[in-house]
Amino acid sequence: MTPRRAIAVVVAVVGIVSAVVATTVAVGLVTTMPAATARAQEVATSGIGATPAALPAGDRELGEYLSSECVTCHQLSGRYDGIPPIVGWPEETFVEILGEYRAKKRENPVMRSIAVKFTDEEIAALAAYFGSLRPRID
Amino acid sequence: MIAVTRRTFSVGALVAGTLAIPAISRAQGKPRLVVIGGGPAGATVAKYVAKDSKGAIDVTLVEPLKTFVTCFHSNLYLGDYRTWDSIGHDYALERYGVKQVHQMAKAIDREKKQVALADGTRLDYDRLVVAPGIDLNFDSVPGWSEAAAEAMPHAWKPGPQTQLLKKQLDALEDGATIVMIAPPNPYRCPPGPYERVSCMAHVLKGKGHKKSRIVVIDPKEKFSKQALFQEGWQTHYPGMVEWQDPQMHGGVKEVDPDAMTVTTDFETIQAKLVNVIPAQMAGRIARDAGLVDETGFCPIEAADMKSKKDPNIYVLGDAAIAGAMPKSAFAANSQAKVVAMMVRGELTGSRTFPARYANTCWSIIAPEDTVKVGGRYEAKDGKIAEVEGFVSKLKESPELRRQTTDENMGWYQGIVADVFS
Repeated sequence: MTPRRAIAVVVAVVGIVSAVVATTVAVGLVTTMPAATARAQEVATSGIGATPAALPAGDRELGEYLSSECVTCHQLSGRYDGIPPIVGWPEETFVEILGEYRAKKRENPVMRSIAVKFTDEEIAALAAYFGSLRPRID
Repeated sequence: MIAVTRRTFSVGALVAGTLAIPAISRAQGKPRLVVIGGGPAGATVAKYVAKDSKGAIDVTLVEPLKTFVTCFHSNLYLGDYRTWDSIGHDYALERYGVKQVHQMAKAIDREKKQVALADGTRLDYDRLVVAPGIDLNFDSVPGWSEAAAEAMPHAWKPGPQTQLLKKQLDALEDGATIVMIAPPNPYRCPPGPYERVSCMAHVLKGKGHKKSRIVVIDPKEKFSKQALFQEGWQTHYPGMVEWQDPQMHGGVKEVDPDAMTVTTDFETIQAKLVNVIPAQMAGRIARDAGLVDETGFCPIEAADMKSKKDPNIYVLGDAAIAGAMPKSAFAANSQAKVVAMMVRGELTGSRTFPARYANTCWSIIAPEDTVKVGGRYEAKDGKIAEVEGFVSKLKESPELRRQTTDENMGWYQGIVADVFS
């Protein structure tokens, strides 16, 4: 499974199936991160060439500022307690999923309401910021 | 950079009409922010200002408690969904440079821009954040008082009162009558009383009660998530909950904490447990400082949560009049991030963006059956207005309600991590 699909599945599963399944998949995501994702993370956290060439570079600093709204629910540590972790995702996946909430193609009304106000630039910034973080599961 | 900051500050002082005061007493040092109140509003502001200013602003958080018990999810403790310890949190904000003073703030001297603490210490501030939460109006229910709350608890400020209500609830035997006197608007946590009813009903059902009942005497014609709660009570606790609107009870004439009776215009109810949730107002320090209007709460500028009474002061959380935003922990935390940004903008010239506020309130009705209401908000025509809202629907699938339950529990872990550590 590609990283993008893995994350899409996590979000979809959390959206419709029980917590047990969601937990399993979510934990699977953060603990057995596919190699490609792990490499993307290393690149991102190194601070050099933080985004793949194909993507418009997100403003990580703007993302950090905007992220304060997200971390009311999504823990910076990447811990899962019922709300899916969003740290360490490939940026393109983050952009795609948040974009789908904004377009109301995904169901959760909280996320739709949050996403609708973000511009493309802001979503890219959030993707850059959260993508640069590594899960810290104690 | 310093010159710019000073000029900005002087302009602020000019606008404030406080030019006569030697405003730049901080000229030798860093600008100072004092935050009164260590709940989801105040602690969040202190954390984010300290963290994001990276030491450029001196941040002091004044909060008497060392372990903060959250009012949010205290109903879940009553309902046996959470332990007492799980809703208490120690602060871990030193890492960001927040100085914590575990004392009660006694008074605000707006002229001198000082906060007086219980031990007589005075803290100078350039900007002050006032987030004291609510005080209860003990005179709002005839026959009830602060002393009477030992027999008829309010449990609307978390602590011993919450534990007292839990003890009384757990001691009930089948056939008991519980009376809740619900509060008038505006009050902390609009769905809270009705979530509490659900949690109490859950405990009674779990103990096999067949004849116990819960009577809600409400001064309001309608309440938050009403259809969802009433559907849930019918499904999970049929016949147990009786909600009376003002037409049905005609008003509370008197409560008698010795006899444990509640008298309405129509009847006297003999109860085993009476939960009086009275009318509310902004915390005392905000009232004493003249930050409230005739409603008892603090008017603020919608664009930045700045007090309409004093441009050096921000008021947020339950003490503020935040337009369409309810008094909730989520709302307080959301407002805090706007305030933190605006404070940094004023004191260090950092970038600010138009305020965007959000809220979601989850309410548990039964195990794995949670509903939610929320929205996003912006400043419009001087008021905080809802731009988009949502609420759970009737007859949702058990799967969706389970997911919402998980979301509620996940949100709690998220927000307490965000506020306290």
